[in-house]
Amino acid sequence: MAAASFAGMLCGQSPPAPTHDLTGVWMLRNPASMRAYAGATFTKEEPELTPWAQAKYKEAKASNNGTYTLETTNDPVLKKCDPPGVPRVYFHPYPFEFVSTPKYTLMLYEYDHMLRRIYTDGRSIPEDPDLTWMGYSVGHWDGDTTFVVETAGFNDKTWLDRLGHPHSNQLRVIERFRRIDRDHMQLDITMQDPKALVKPWSTTFYSELRPKWELGEISCSGDYLDFSKFEK
Amino acid sequence: MKRTRGQALALLVFTMLIGAVPMTAHHGTAAFNTTKMVKVKGTVTDFQFTNPHVLLFFECKNEKGETEQWQGELTAPNKLIRAGWDKHTLKPGDSVTVGGYAAVSGAHTIWIRELIGPSGEALALFEE
Repeated sequence: MAAASFAGMLCGQSPPAPTHDLTGVWMLRNPASMRAYAGATFTKEEPELTPWAQAKYKEAKASNNGTYTLETTNDPVLKKCDPPGVPRVYFHPYPFEFVSTPKYTLMLYEYDHMLRRIYTDGRSIPEDPDLTWMGYSVGHWDGDTTFVVETAGFNDKTWLDRLGHPHSNQLRVIERFRRIDRDHMQLDITMQDPKALVKPWSTTFYSELRPKWELGEISCSGDYLDFSKFEK
Repeated sequence: MKRTRGQALALLVFTMLIGAVPMTAHHGTAAFNTTKMVKVKGTVTDFQFTNPHVLLFFECKNEKGETEQWQGELTAPNKLIRAGWDKHTLKPGDSVTVGGYAAVSGAHTIWIRELIGPSGEALALFEE
Protein backbone atom coordinates (compact mmCIF):
# COMPACT_ATOMS: atom_id res chain seq x y z
CA MET A 1 0.00 0.00 0.00
CA ALA A 2 1.23 3.47 -0.81
CA ALA A 3 0.49 4.74 2.69
CA ALA A 4 2.89 2.20 4.22
CA SER A 5 5.88 3.84 2.62
CA PHE A 6 5.09 7.03 4.53
CA ALA A 7 5.11 5.36 7.95
CA GLY A 8 8.57 6.67 8.75
CA MET A 9 7.88 10.24 7.63
CA LEU A 10 9.48 12.99 9.65
CA CYS A 11 7.59 15.82 11.28
CA GLY A 12 6.65 18.67 8.96
CA GLN A 13 6.27 16.67 5.79
CA SER A 14 3.08 16.61 3.82
CA PRO A 15 0.69 13.66 4.22
CA PRO A 16 0.20 11.43 1.18
CA ALA A 17 -2.01 12.45 -1.71
CA PRO A 18 -5.63 11.33 -1.56
CA THR A 19 -6.87 8.99 -4.30
CA HIS A 20 -8.43 10.52 -7.42
CA ASP A 21 -8.77 13.96 -5.89
CA LEU A 22 -7.21 17.29 -6.87
CA THR A 23 -9.92 19.39 -5.20
CA GLY A 24 -8.68 22.66 -3.82
CA VAL A 25 -6.81 25.84 -4.62
CA TRP A 26 -3.31 25.50 -6.07
CA MET A 27 -0.58 28.01 -6.72
CA LEU A 28 2.25 27.56 -9.16
CA ARG A 29 5.52 27.60 -7.21
CA ASN A 30 8.46 26.58 -9.35
CA PRO A 31 11.88 26.03 -7.74
CA ALA A 32 14.43 28.83 -7.81
CA SER A 33 16.45 27.00 -10.45
CA MET A 34 13.65 27.71 -12.96
CA ARG A 35 13.25 31.36 -12.05
CA ALA A 36 15.30 32.69 -14.95
CA TYR A 37 12.73 31.57 -17.52
CA ALA A 38 9.64 30.01 -15.95
CA GLY A 39 7.83 33.33 -15.49
CA ALA A 40 7.62 33.70 -19.24
CA THR A 41 8.31 30.45 -21.05
CA PHE A 42 8.49 26.69 -20.55
CA THR A 43 12.12 25.75 -21.02
CA LYS A 44 15.54 27.34 -20.91
CA GLU A 45 16.13 26.10 -24.45
CA GLU A 46 14.17 27.44 -27.39
CA PRO A 47 11.57 25.09 -28.87
CA GLU A 48 12.18 23.89 -32.40
CA LEU A 49 9.83 25.98 -34.53
CA THR A 50 8.71 25.37 -38.10
CA PRO A 51 9.48 28.13 -40.63
CA TRP A 52 5.81 29.19 -40.39
CA ALA A 53 6.13 29.59 -36.63
CA GLN A 54 9.54 31.28 -36.84
CA ALA A 55 8.05 33.97 -39.06
CA LYS A 56 5.18 34.53 -36.63
CA TYR A 57 7.50 34.56 -33.63
CA LYS A 58 9.55 37.35 -35.22
CA GLU A 59 6.45 39.54 -35.21
CA ALA A 60 5.83 39.06 -31.49
CA LYS A 61 6.56 42.10 -29.33
CA ALA A 62 6.44 40.68 -25.82
CA SER A 63 6.35 42.99 -22.83
CA ASN A 64 7.12 40.45 -20.15
CA ASN A 65 10.87 40.60 -20.30
CA GLY A 66 10.99 44.33 -20.35
CA THR A 67 11.47 44.82 -24.07
CA TYR A 68 8.17 46.49 -24.88
CA THR A 69 5.89 48.72 -22.86
CA LEU A 70 2.13 48.40 -22.57
CA GLU A 71 1.88 50.91 -25.40
CA THR A 72 4.24 49.13 -27.80
CA THR A 73 3.59 45.43 -27.15
CA ASN A 74 1.38 43.37 -29.47
CA ASP A 75 0.70 40.73 -26.83
CA PRO A 76 -2.98 39.82 -27.43
CA VAL A 77 -3.64 39.35 -23.70
CA LEU A 78 -2.33 42.80 -22.82
CA LYS A 79 -3.49 44.65 -25.91
CA LYS A 80 -6.95 43.19 -26.33
CA CYS A 81 -7.62 41.40 -23.06
CA ASP A 82 -7.89 38.19 -25.07
CA PRO A 83 -8.15 35.02 -22.99
CA PRO A 84 -4.67 33.57 -22.50
CA GLY A 85 -5.42 30.07 -23.81
CA VAL A 86 -3.76 26.89 -22.59
CA PRO A 87 -1.02 26.51 -21.48
CA ARG A 88 -0.23 30.22 -21.36
CA VAL A 89 -2.78 30.61 -18.56
CA TYR A 90 -0.14 29.18 -16.19
CA PHE A 91 2.05 32.26 -16.68
CA HIS A 92 -0.48 34.44 -14.92
CA PRO A 93 0.73 34.50 -11.32
CA TYR A 94 -2.64 33.64 -9.82
CA PRO A 95 -4.01 30.45 -8.26
CA PHE A 96 -6.32 27.91 -9.87
CA GLU A 97 -8.86 25.55 -8.38
CA PHE A 98 -10.11 22.06 -9.20
CA VAL A 99 -13.78 21.35 -8.66
CA SER A 100 -14.76 17.70 -9.19
CA THR A 101 -18.17 16.46 -10.26
CA PRO A 102 -19.12 12.93 -11.34
CA LYS A 103 -18.97 13.64 -15.08
CA TYR A 104 -16.49 16.45 -15.40
CA THR A 105 -13.86 18.38 -13.52
CA LEU A 106 -13.85 22.15 -13.58
CA MET A 107 -10.65 24.13 -13.58
CA LEU A 108 -11.20 27.65 -12.36
CA TYR A 109 -8.35 30.04 -12.90
CA GLU A 110 -8.41 33.18 -10.82
CA TYR A 111 -6.97 35.19 -13.70
CA ASP A 112 -9.87 36.78 -15.56
CA HIS A 113 -12.26 34.04 -14.32
CA MET A 114 -11.03 31.55 -16.88
CA LEU A 115 -12.94 28.27 -16.83
CA ARG A 116 -12.16 24.87 -18.31
CA ARG A 117 -14.58 21.98 -18.30
CA ILE A 118 -12.68 18.69 -18.46
CA TYR A 119 -15.01 15.83 -19.36
CA THR A 120 -14.34 12.62 -17.43
CA ASP A 121 -17.33 10.63 -18.71
CA GLY A 122 -15.25 8.65 -21.18
CA ARG A 123 -15.97 10.75 -24.25
CA SER A 124 -13.26 11.65 -26.74
CA ILE A 125 -12.39 15.07 -28.09
CA PRO A 126 -14.66 15.62 -31.13
CA GLU A 127 -13.04 15.04 -34.53
CA ASP A 128 -13.74 18.58 -35.68
CA PRO A 129 -14.43 20.65 -32.57
CA ASP A 130 -15.51 24.26 -32.61
CA LEU A 131 -12.41 26.34 -32.03
CA THR A 132 -12.24 28.14 -28.70
CA TRP A 133 -9.75 30.09 -26.60
CA MET A 134 -9.36 27.47 -23.87
CA GLY A 135 -10.00 24.38 -26.00
CA TYR A 136 -12.04 21.20 -25.52
CA SER A 137 -10.72 18.97 -22.73
CA VAL A 138 -11.13 15.35 -21.69
CA GLY A 139 -9.46 13.77 -18.68
CA HIS A 140 -8.86 10.45 -16.99
CA TRP A 141 -6.92 9.09 -14.01
CA ASP A 142 -3.67 7.26 -14.56
CA GLY A 143 -3.19 5.36 -11.30
CA ASP A 144 -4.35 6.86 -8.00
CA THR A 145 -2.89 10.33 -8.14
CA THR A 146 -2.23 11.41 -11.74
CA PHE A 147 -4.97 13.18 -13.67
CA VAL A 148 -4.27 13.28 -17.41
CA VAL A 149 -5.97 15.99 -19.45
CA GLU A 150 -5.89 16.22 -23.23
CA THR A 151 -7.06 19.40 -24.90
CA ALA A 152 -7.55 20.41 -28.54
CA GLY A 153 -9.85 22.65 -30.55
CA PHE A 154 -7.97 25.86 -29.89
CA ASN A 155 -8.21 28.91 -32.09
CA ASP A 156 -4.84 30.25 -33.23
CA LYS A 157 -5.13 33.69 -31.63
CA THR A 158 -3.24 33.03 -28.43
CA TRP A 159 0.46 32.73 -27.69
CA LEU A 160 1.91 29.59 -26.10
CA ASP A 161 3.84 31.67 -23.58
CA ARG A 162 4.59 35.26 -22.65
CA LEU A 163 7.43 35.51 -25.13
CA GLY A 164 5.09 35.04 -28.07
CA HIS A 165 5.87 31.54 -29.30
CA PRO A 166 2.97 30.90 -31.67
CA HIS A 167 0.71 27.93 -32.28
CA SER A 168 -1.87 26.95 -34.87
CA ASN A 169 -5.36 25.52 -34.48
CA GLN A 170 -3.76 22.08 -34.68
CA LEU A 171 -2.37 22.54 -31.16
CA ARG A 172 -2.89 19.63 -28.78
CA VAL A 173 -1.93 19.99 -25.13
CA ILE A 174 -1.43 17.11 -22.73
CA GLU A 175 -1.30 17.98 -19.04
CA ARG A 176 -0.41 15.39 -16.42
CA PHE A 177 -1.33 16.64 -12.94
CA ARG A 178 0.58 14.35 -10.59
CA ARG A 179 -0.21 14.92 -6.94
CA ILE A 180 3.05 14.01 -5.27
CA ASP A 181 1.64 14.31 -1.75
CA ARG A 182 -1.26 16.21 -0.23
CA ASP A 183 0.35 19.62 -0.66
CA HIS A 184 2.43 19.27 -3.82
CA MET A 185 1.58 18.71 -7.45
CA GLN A 186 3.80 18.24 -10.45
CA LEU A 187 2.37 19.42 -13.76
CA ASP A 188 3.90 17.91 -16.89
CA ILE A 189 2.85 19.84 -19.98
CA THR A 190 3.40 18.67 -23.55
CA MET A 191 2.44 20.76 -26.56
CA GLN A 192 2.05 19.15 -29.98
CA ASP A 193 1.43 21.22 -33.09
CA PRO A 194 2.66 19.92 -36.46
CA LYS A 195 2.20 23.33 -38.06
CA ALA A 196 4.21 25.25 -35.44
CA LEU A 197 6.47 22.82 -33.59
CA VAL A 198 8.97 20.52 -35.31
CA LYS A 199 8.71 18.21 -32.30
CA PRO A 200 6.59 18.31 -29.14
CA TRP A 201 7.57 20.90 -26.53
CA SER A 202 7.49 19.68 -22.93
CA THR A 203 8.10 21.05 -19.48
CA THR A 204 7.39 20.32 -15.83
CA PHE A 205 5.95 22.96 -13.53
CA TYR A 206 5.27 22.65 -9.80
CA SER A 207 2.29 23.69 -7.69
CA GLU A 208 1.46 23.85 -4.01
CA LEU A 209 -1.90 23.48 -2.29
CA ARG A 210 -3.19 26.66 -0.64
CA PRO A 211 -5.91 25.42 1.77
CA LYS A 212 -6.61 28.86 3.22
CA TRP A 213 -6.95 30.70 -0.09
CA GLU A 214 -10.12 31.50 -1.96
CA LEU A 215 -10.16 32.60 -5.57
CA GLY A 216 -10.86 36.31 -5.89
CA GLU A 217 -11.32 38.61 -8.83
CA ILE A 218 -8.60 39.71 -11.16
CA SER A 219 -9.74 41.13 -14.44
CA CYS A 220 -7.65 42.01 -17.42
CA SER A 221 -9.60 45.21 -17.97
CA GLY A 222 -9.21 48.23 -15.78
CA ASP A 223 -7.18 51.38 -15.46
CA TYR A 224 -3.45 51.35 -15.85
CA LEU A 225 -1.13 54.15 -14.85
CA ASP A 226 -1.26 57.22 -17.03
CA PHE A 227 2.37 58.28 -17.24
CA SER A 228 1.66 61.44 -19.22
CA LYS A 229 -0.23 63.04 -16.32
CA PHE A 230 2.79 62.68 -14.07
CA GLU A 231 5.55 64.09 -16.23
CA LYS A 232 8.37 65.74 -14.39
CA MET B 1 6.70 64.33 -24.03
CA LYS B 2 9.99 65.97 -24.94
CA ARG B 3 13.12 64.03 -24.38
CA THR B 4 16.66 65.42 -24.38
CA ARG B 5 19.40 63.68 -26.35
CA GLY B 6 20.95 62.57 -23.06
CA GLN B 7 17.70 61.04 -21.93
CA ALA B 8 17.21 59.42 -25.33
CA LEU B 9 20.68 57.89 -25.13
CA ALA B 10 20.07 56.72 -21.57
CA LEU B 11 16.83 55.11 -22.71
CA LEU B 12 18.63 53.38 -25.59
CA VAL B 13 21.34 52.05 -23.29
CA PHE B 14 18.68 50.98 -20.80
CA THR B 15 16.73 49.22 -23.54
CA MET B 16 19.85 47.26 -24.48
CA LEU B 17 20.57 46.37 -20.85
CA ILE B 18 17.15 45.23 -19.78
CA GLY B 19 17.49 41.89 -21.51
CA ALA B 20 19.39 40.93 -18.37
CA VAL B 21 16.59 41.90 -16.00
CA PRO B 22 15.12 38.86 -14.23
CA MET B 23 11.68 37.75 -15.39
CA THR B 24 8.81 38.96 -13.32
CA ALA B 25 5.11 38.52 -13.35
CA HIS B 26 4.70 42.20 -14.01
CA HIS B 27 4.06 43.38 -17.53
CA GLY B 28 5.21 46.57 -19.13
CA THR B 29 8.47 46.54 -17.19
CA ALA B 30 10.21 48.44 -19.98
CA ALA B 31 8.59 51.60 -18.67
CA PHE B 32 10.50 51.32 -15.39
CA ASN B 33 14.18 51.41 -14.51
CA THR B 34 14.45 48.06 -12.76
CA THR B 35 18.20 48.38 -12.24
CA LYS B 36 17.81 50.93 -9.46
CA MET B 37 15.51 51.18 -6.44
CA VAL B 38 14.38 54.65 -5.41
CA LYS B 39 12.45 55.92 -2.40
CA VAL B 40 9.85 58.64 -2.04
CA LYS B 41 8.42 59.81 1.27
CA GLY B 42 5.03 61.45 1.05
CA THR B 43 1.37 61.68 1.95
CA VAL B 44 -1.36 59.58 0.35
CA THR B 45 -3.84 61.55 -1.77
CA ASP B 46 -5.77 58.60 -3.24
CA PHE B 47 -5.78 54.83 -2.89
CA GLN B 48 -7.58 52.77 -5.54
CA PHE B 49 -7.99 49.13 -4.53
CA THR B 50 -8.92 48.04 -8.04
CA ASN B 51 -8.14 45.66 -10.89
CA PRO B 52 -5.96 44.93 -12.58
CA HIS B 53 -3.41 46.56 -10.25
CA VAL B 54 -3.83 48.60 -7.10
CA LEU B 55 -2.91 52.27 -7.58
CA LEU B 56 -1.52 54.63 -4.97
CA PHE B 57 -1.38 58.38 -5.45
CA PHE B 58 0.69 60.52 -3.13
CA GLU B 59 2.41 63.88 -2.89
CA CYS B 60 5.71 64.95 -1.41
CA LYS B 61 7.77 68.08 -0.94
CA ASN B 62 10.96 68.24 -2.98
CA GLU B 63 14.22 70.00 -2.03
CA LYS B 64 12.90 73.32 -3.31
CA GLY B 65 9.86 73.04 -1.09
CA GLU B 66 7.57 72.42 -4.06
CA THR B 67 4.84 69.80 -3.87
CA GLU B 68 5.26 66.97 -6.36
CA GLN B 69 2.41 64.66 -7.35
CA TRP B 70 3.34 60.98 -7.62
CA GLN B 71 1.59 57.75 -8.58
CA GLY B 72 2.56 54.20 -7.82
CA GLU B 73 1.44 50.77 -8.96
CA LEU B 74 1.15 47.74 -6.72
CA THR B 75 0.18 44.19 -7.60
CA ALA B 76 -3.40 42.92 -8.04
CA PRO B 77 -5.89 43.47 -5.20
CA ASN B 78 -6.52 39.75 -4.69
CA LYS B 79 -2.79 39.14 -4.18
CA LEU B 80 -2.66 41.97 -1.64
CA ILE B 81 -5.77 40.60 0.12
CA ARG B 82 -3.87 37.34 0.62
CA ALA B 83 -0.98 39.39 2.03
CA GLY B 84 -3.38 40.94 4.57
CA TRP B 85 -4.65 44.08 2.84
CA ASP B 86 -8.11 45.48 2.22
CA LYS B 87 -9.51 48.64 0.65
CA HIS B 88 -9.01 50.52 3.93
CA THR B 89 -5.32 49.67 4.39
CA LEU B 90 -4.35 53.13 3.15
CA LYS B 91 -6.32 56.36 2.99
CA PRO B 92 -5.71 59.99 2.04
CA GLY B 93 -3.55 61.76 4.61
CA ASP B 94 -1.54 58.66 5.53
CA SER B 95 2.24 59.07 5.64
CA VAL B 96 4.03 56.52 3.49
CA THR B 97 7.53 55.76 2.31
CA VAL B 98 7.37 54.19 -1.10
CA GLY B 99 10.29 52.23 -2.51
CA GLY B 100 10.51 50.81 -5.99
CA TYR B 101 11.48 51.37 -9.60
CA ALA B 102 10.95 54.81 -11.11
CA ALA B 103 9.67 55.49 -14.62
CA VAL B 104 12.35 55.60 -17.29
CA SER B 105 10.59 58.61 -18.80
CA GLY B 106 11.20 60.68 -15.68
CA ALA B 107 7.49 60.79 -14.89
CA HIS B 108 6.71 60.76 -11.17
CA THR B 109 5.60 57.18 -11.43
CA ILE B 110 6.90 54.26 -9.44
CA TRP B 111 6.47 50.49 -9.57
CA ILE B 112 6.17 49.84 -5.84
CA ARG B 113 8.34 47.08 -4.38
CA GLU B 114 8.29 48.09 -0.73
CA LEU B 115 6.03 50.28 1.33
CA ILE B 116 6.32 51.66 4.85
CA GLY B 117 2.80 52.41 6.08
CA PRO B 118 1.50 55.09 8.46
CA SER B 119 2.37 52.96 11.51
CA GLY B 120 6.02 52.96 10.47
CA GLU B 121 5.87 49.23 9.73
CA ALA B 122 6.57 47.70 6.34
CA LEU B 123 3.39 46.43 4.70
CA ALA B 124 3.52 42.92 3.22
CA LEU B 125 3.31 43.20 -0.56
CA PHE B 126 3.51 39.54 -1.47
CA GLU B 127 1.37 36.52 -0.68
CA GLU B 128 3.01 33.34 0.68
